[in-house]
Amino acid sequence: MAPTPNGKVAAVKKKINLWAWFWILLGALYFLVPLYGTFDFSLREKRGVLSLLAYQNVLADPRFRDSFTYSALMALATIVVGLLLIVPTAYWVHLRLPQVRPLIEFITLMPFVVPAIVLVFGLIRIYSGPPLALTNSDPLTNFLLMCGYVILSMPYTYRSVDTGLRAIDVRTLTEAAQSLGAGWFTILFRIIFPNIRAALLSGAFLTFAIVIGEFTLASLLGRPAFGPYLVYMGNNRAYEPAALAIISLALTWAAIGLIQLLSHGRPGQEQVGGVH
Amino acid sequence: MAQATQNQIRANSSQRSLVIRNLVAWAGVVPFLVFVILFLFWPASSLITGSFQNQSGAFTLQNIIDLFTPSIMNAYMLSIQISIVTAIGGGIFGFMLAYAVIQGGLPRWVRTALTTFSGVASNFAGVPLAFAFIATLGHTGFLTALFADKLGIDIYNLGFNLYNFWGLALTYMYFQFPLMVLIMAPALDGLREEWREASENLGASSYQYWRYVALPILWPSLLGSTILLFGNAFGAYATAYALTRTLNVVTVLIGDQISGNVLFNPNLGYALAFGMIVIMAVSIGLYTWLQRRTARWLQ
Amino acid sequence: MAFLELTNIRKQFGQAVAVEDFNLKVDRGEFVSFLGPSGCGKTTTLRMIAGFEIPTVGRVAVDNVDITDKAPNQRNVGMVFQSYALFPNMTVAQNIGFGLRIRRESESAIKERVDEMLALIHLEQKGPSYPSQLSGGQQQRVALARALAIRPQVLLLDEPLSALDAKIRVSLRAEIRAIQRKLGITAIYVTHDQEEALSISDRIVVMSQGHMEQVGTPFEIYNFPQTAFVASFVGTLNTTTAEVVDSARGVLQIDGARLETAEKLDGRQKGDKVTIAIRPERFSFASEQKKANVVDCRIENITFLGSIVRIQVSIGSGKYYMDTFNNPFLELPKIGDKDQVTCSREAVLVLKS
Repeated sequence: MAPTPNGKVAAVKKKINLWAWFWILLGALYFLVPLYGTFDFSLREKRGVLSLLAYQNVLADPRFRDSFTYSALMALATIVVGLLLIVPTAYWVHLRLPQVRPLIEFITLMPFVVPAIVLVFGLIRIYSGPPLALTNSDPLTNFLLMCGYVILSMPYTYRSVDTGLRAIDVRTLTEAAQSLGAGWFTILFRIIFPNIRAALLSGAFLTFAIVIGEFTLASLLGRPAFGPYLVYMGNNRAYEPAALAIISLALTWAAIGLIQLLSHGRPGQEQVGGVH
Repeated sequence: MAQATQNQIRANSSQRSLVIRNLVAWAGVVPFLVFVILFLFWPASSLITGSFQNQSGAFTLQNIIDLFTPSIMNAYMLSIQISIVTAIGGGIFGFMLAYAVIQGGLPRWVRTALTTFSGVASNFAGVPLAFAFIATLGHTGFLTALFADKLGIDIYNLGFNLYNFWGLALTYMYFQFPLMVLIMAPALDGLREEWREASENLGASSYQYWRYVALPILWPSLLGSTILLFGNAFGAYATAYALTRTLNVVTVLIGDQISGNVLFNPNLGYALAFGMIVIMAVSIGLYTWLQRRTARWLQ
Repeated sequence: MAFLELTNIRKQFGQAVAVEDFNLKVDRGEFVSFLGPSGCGKTTTLRMIAGFEIPTVGRVAVDNVDITDKAPNQRNVGMVFQSYALFPNMTVAQNIGFGLRIRRESESAIKERVDEMLALIHLEQKGPSYPSQLSGGQQQRVALARALAIRPQVLLLDEPLSALDAKIRVSLRAEIRAIQRKLGITAIYVTHDQEEALSISDRIVVMSQGHMEQVGTPFEIYNFPQTAFVASFVGTLNTTTAEVVDSARGVLQIDGARLETAEKLDGRQKGDKVTIAIRPERFSFASEQKKANVVDCRIENITFLGSIVRIQVSIGSGKYYMDTFNNPFLELPKIGDKDQVTCSREAVLVLKS
């Protein structure tokens, strides 16, 4: 008497499922336990009771507001400059210089080869003395920092813009616009940008997530950004850092969540990496 | 004759206009090239040249030789070790997760959740990540306290220490394995169901399918991703800096050089950075090569 | 005794019934096609023969051995997939030799068999190439060779040509058929392309919504469709509702016109409605002598299709197609002309439903 075929198949399926759930559970634990631990820790500033005191302290701290505002503005500037630099370039390469594409892709990979710590070292070497002594004044150092951020976020911005451009027929859209009398400015701002809006926003949010808590460049260029403030708090307080970690996580989560929402159902848009 | 000359002239002028068109085309990428030269290539190459100069600017190999002093070699070894451990550990764990969620027959929402979580976790790094692990597994951390209160176990007495090698590795893993999930998911998607069916149809067992078909197809992306994870950990600075001051990985050493916390020799610092660039360039180069190889198969 | 036997097959996915009441006996060396629209259960049935699906009820036997519960890798059944499913990491030769390697045959035996197969599909030079270096048609030939290399008892082909260009499709199907004949292998071929099924098969199983609609030779399926579904799915067909005038003599009426059929109208009463079908090529313009089945019509449209000319005529309020051979020395009628068409009594088919 042979066993019923369906019973056998069901058993195999179940085994795979259990095994898969096991790994997912392990992953979820790894991911969630530190978050829960941090959250729990952040509530224990007052002895014996759970309270939001650490959050109140953080939010009341003017240095928190100042450094956060500074980093947020820095992120905004990075996004604008980065997109203005990369979208026209990527568009142009798609349209007129496809043979240069490997070179551009190679260049956008370079920030991986030159980690943030090395990049900032080089920036300081070049721009702290004549002929281009940018680090002598605060506004120019801010500018230098922003340029560094544009470089750091470039691989991510370029990749999302490139994916966006691949999804539309750049050449036909451009030719259609030209045949209707549009100039380059109109084509770029009225045709190309709106059509790759989702990709641009993905790149923007990822840049925001990278810049907002960035420590290496900001600290070594001596700027009052959010990252160095975090380290300062870590050195001087016990519970506030946990609260700050939760706040940072919420920001990252919001940025990535928005990217996921925008790129929903489109493969190849999942974003990878960051600056550690 | 006159006709021929005219044609010649026309040909010349059209050739000239072609050259002009090409120049115009190249002009479109000039701003980008200028920017990356100013803020990436020039600074980076200045470090490379600087590492072959002494303090007065003359050529020397002394800085490179000085890299082979024990303290610096130890820093490189430490960086390489932690990168290898977290790349392999995170790689295996991330692969298992990606495989479970894509081929394990789990509901669709699990996959969406995992990719979102991975996107967040791979970006949740640096200083806040260090804080999270201190709050969880530090001396007074949540889990440490939980073990002490509920089980009466002091994990620090058992040899665990968040601030040593394995603690740092555990922390790095937090952004390593999600990165692996994100990179491997498309590769696993490329593994087509028909290949399994075709190999079964030809008589292969599940083991033989993995041995002869699935792993050979996946190995370039597996190896490539692991290398990327290696580079990812190798370049990490903020996490290590915020978590521990006793583990001198290369990035921390460079940071100290820049901020002048140690006996300041900028050229030795340049050489340190040069060493990093070399190692990163090799790993990223390998990664790109392996990715191309997979792309050729999986079109 | 039949070589491949499917008895009482039924397959359910949850509540949905994919295949029901499927009974088929295939002789050794026979080439049988499963024909039907997507979702009719033809691929599911094929996958049950391969072992990728297990029937909810029923029995699959090859050469009198019950293989219903056997794992796919324990059966000796070769399969060619729609998407080729060649292993991208292996060369053509390694792909073809894969099944033999699994069966632990010696290196020399594998090499010999691979060379033999490469010669069979006329790709002798391509052994060391990778699949991605081949064209679609070449890849599918390699997939065929891979399935045949293991000397399967039955060869299954799951829409093997649907991913290819029209021209290659025609030449490759002839090649598949020639190879099948040469090896004398039993083959099951799934397709949704009626022309393909008609040209390649010994017998066709027409399927719809999990049921077998009709089983027969291409000749029978085309000329004597038994159901409205088969009639409409295979070839171009005029169908209409007719009223029975005289069931004993087979007289029908459509839109006031009188038609006679050679088919039996047993059990039908005068005034009953029946569905009739007439192939376009069975119509012709009425000549002087012809008396029976002559109907007045008006030319509505003329489409030139190359070797044939398709003329649309209206009879009463209904419109019908009529195909005539393209004869460059005969004048075609003009749109709007009045004319008379005719067809033989045998051409008027009465359908079951």
